[in-house]
Amino acid sequence: MRRDVFQAIADPTRRAIIHLISRQSLNLNAVAEQFDVSRPAISKHIKILTECGLIIIKEQGRERVCEARLQKLQEVSQWVEQYRTFWNQKLDALGDFLDLEDEDDALKKRKPSKRKKK
Amino acid sequence: MKGQPIVIERVYEAPVDRVWKALTDKEQMKKWYFQVSDFEPVVGFEFQFSGGTKTETYIHLCKVTQVVPGRKIAYTWRYEGYEGISEVSFELFPEGVKKTRLVLTHEGIESFPKQPNFGRESFTAGWTSITGKMLKEFVEQA
Repeated sequence: MRRDVFQAIADPTRRAIIHLISRQSLNLNAVAEQFDVSRPAISKHIKILTECGLIIIKEQGRERVCEARLQKLQEVSQWVEQYRTFWNQKLDALGDFLDLEDEDDALKKRKPSKRKKK
Repeated sequence: MKGQPIVIERVYEAPVDRVWKALTDKEQMKKWYFQVSDFEPVVGFEFQFSGGTKTETYIHLCKVTQVVPGRKIAYTWRYEGYEGISEVSFELFPEGVKKTRLVLTHEGIESFPKQPNFGRESFTAGWTSITGKMLKEFVEQA
């Protein structure tokens, strides 16, 4: 099974859990109460989140408290950065294409007879 | 918790209708973008193209979601055989008569898996080579 930050945030309930816990650490029951999903389902999401490294569970007396570990979310922004690079290159290519089209038009107007198409 | 969309703006020295054509005309798209299977700026129109690295190519599957002629075109963007879906939109704004501001938005990227063959290094390398090669060839032919 894949266990990384992308798997962690792939599910909307898990995103909501991260959001909730990032504001304050909560025990399992308190987390489960916030959702219209069964307690076992929430436990499963929390288990995945711990395996993905976004949550750690601390034993406090008889309680198990979920604490957020958000450093891993940086991987997501790095991933997004790759796409930013990609789009910047594509939009540069579009700019060059538009410039070339312009030159083509200008050439056609200047010397229509001498220009041969490949 | 959703990731921030990518938003990139450019101003081109070309009127809106020309930029619109480069974004939506199949033959023009092939010159700077991708070897699209086909393209029509019509909501619901589906098209695909391949892209990736030298060893791995990914079939990109897209479906047009919004069309405002001369103003906006948007389509979904996902990879055949992989989970996750994103959406790309291009919006055009005239800047005077001869210039066009383009706003590109790509959201939902974080929904894509991060698998070994889908790693970000290979991705960047692939995009760079595709863009570099395509652009180079186009420039040399012109």
